[in-house]
Amino acid sequence: MSLVAGASRPAAILERGGKFAILALVLAALAIASIGFGSSAMSVGRVLLAVVGEGQRTDTVIVWSLRMPRMLMAALCGAALALAGFALQRATRNALAAPSVLGIVDGAALGVMVFLLLFSNESNALIVSILWQPLAAASGALLFALTVVLLAVRTGAPPLRVILYGVALGALAKAGVTLFMIDGPVHRASQAAVWLAGSVHQARWSDLSTLAGALALLVPLAFLLTRRMDQLELDEQSAAATGLPVRATQLMLFALATCLTAAAVSFAGAIGFVGLVAPHAARLLVGGRAFGQAVAAALLGAAMVTAADLVVRLAFAPLEVPAGAVTAVIGAPYFLFILLRAGRVHA
Amino acid sequence: MPDSEKPDRTEIELRRAALGYAGKRVFESLDLSIAAGRLTALCGPNGCGKSTALRAMRATLPAEAGDVLLRGRPISAFPARALAREVAMLTQSPSAPEEMTVEHLVSLGRYAHRRGFSADARADREAVAGALESTNLAHLADRAIGTLSGGQLQRVWIAMVLAQAAPVILLDEPTNHLDIAHALEVLSLVRRLGTEESKTVVVVLHDLNLAARFADEIIFFSGGRVAGSGPVDEVFRRELIEEVFGIECIVRREEASGRPYCIPLAAVPTRRDRLGHG
Repeated sequence: MSLVAGASRPAAILERGGKFAILALVLAALAIASIGFGSSAMSVGRVLLAVVGEGQRTDTVIVWSLRMPRMLMAALCGAALALAGFALQRATRNALAAPSVLGIVDGAALGVMVFLLLFSNESNALIVSILWQPLAAASGALLFALTVVLLAVRTGAPPLRVILYGVALGALAKAGVTLFMIDGPVHRASQAAVWLAGSVHQARWSDLSTLAGALALLVPLAFLLTRRMDQLELDEQSAAATGLPVRATQLMLFALATCLTAAAVSFAGAIGFVGLVAPHAARLLVGGRAFGQAVAAALLGAAMVTAADLVVRLAFAPLEVPAGAVTAVIGAPYFLFILLRAGRVHA
Repeated sequence: MPDSEKPDRTEIELRRAALGYAGKRVFESLDLSIAAGRLTALCGPNGCGKSTALRAMRATLPAEAGDVLLRGRPISAFPARALAREVAMLTQSPSAPEEMTVEHLVSLGRYAHRRGFSADARADREAVAGALESTNLAHLADRAIGTLSGGQLQRVWIAMVLAQAAPVILLDEPTNHLDIAHALEVLSLVRRLGTEESKTVVVVLHDLNLAARFADEIIFFSGGRVAGSGPVDEVFRRELIEEVFGIECIVRREEASGRPYCIPLAAVPTRRDRLGHG
């Protein structure tokens, strides 16, 4: 990638490489901390031994059956949400676009609520396996994303309008969720509330393998589209003049972002603002071509959710506060920060 | 005219093309042709469809009826990237993030030449370096575009179009918002493309005198039709300019270059205004 900003100078290459190395190290440190802390804390050495299966038997059991899946779930969901946000920000050419802003996450929430409502009996027990819940979330997300896209295509709306459609539809979904919460039994409401705020504390290996399978398909696709995303830095007319099929590319990115979001929130719930903050921060941190920014965004997203999950465990134990509460506390002010900067994003 | 000895090949042709936007037809039936290797200026009053015609030539605005042909082949038959390798276009108000570097922006012009996932090929690097060289921007390659002056920025956009290495270049008001010195600088560069690299250049120009100074051919648009087209000497006449723009003017000839120029005197009410919109 010799055409990357300033890459003709070795110092610039080193500096950029260094930033990626630091991001990767931060994520690794967070991962080890995430495994080490819990109701019983472990030293770094014990964590590493347990991870490779050479530690004490109890450590190995705790790490492999409880903490590893939780940490991996946090990291994968974070990375998926970050990539989804990255794709949306490129498709709309707007730093404010994110899965939670475009109504996709609220759509997933409504899907989960409808699922809980339809499949519980009078005593509030689910009459089908909870394993179907991710499917319900994914259907809700896809349905709402599809509606936004259809509205956008029908009206040929510019990207900013598409965001507003998303906000409007998201508000609609949120209203539906609130209605179901108030109208439904208490147990169901509290069950839904945890999912709505977003939490990884119930992560299982089976969920992880499903998520990993989905990401194994979606992530390479995201990186295949990075060259097109580079072109979308230009205004639509100019991008089209360089040979990019603009509308088709935007649709592909919307679809990709929806699938990534659906995959993540199906299992971890509505963890907000990661898809907004991570790609934006990646742009500020590393800049340059979309490929590098996508890598940085994924690392940042993974680190954000891992860190948020760590914070809720350290600060609020033994309560199970959802990690999404922490990402929202960081993300909402950052959203304001972007808004204040937004006026001077484009030359 | 030394060019008259060459056989005149037609690069782009519009035949009975109906062009417009949702609910608003700009041209009912537009016929025009662009000669290969020439610098053609599109001129006319505001809203006469200069940019519309230009966009039709790049197929970013599909013709609702009629034909748009590139070297005799319907332009709609070209795949997006193949067409981009034939025709490059600088749009009227292009934009990119202000922190993007000059070199990065120029390299975006290479999109249609890239294959799959490979890193920048040598040909891409050479084309970018060449474009930076001929626009005199090599020393600014690592600068963020947000830090450039208006004239420099416009040269960066032209460099991006050059990097696309297409034989046909369309420019939509490249001198917009530029002061006269920068406008001259940009048009000299455009002129050089025509003569040195034998590109076919079509440029929408607001300023009649700049068009007369730099173009080989001028096409005047007025009221949804071509009011006149041909070599500058043939069409840059007082009666035609007065009719097209609804003004009174004088046309003189500058001694050194032999190029005509126009001094506008007064606006005259159009015939439609005089007839009370009847």
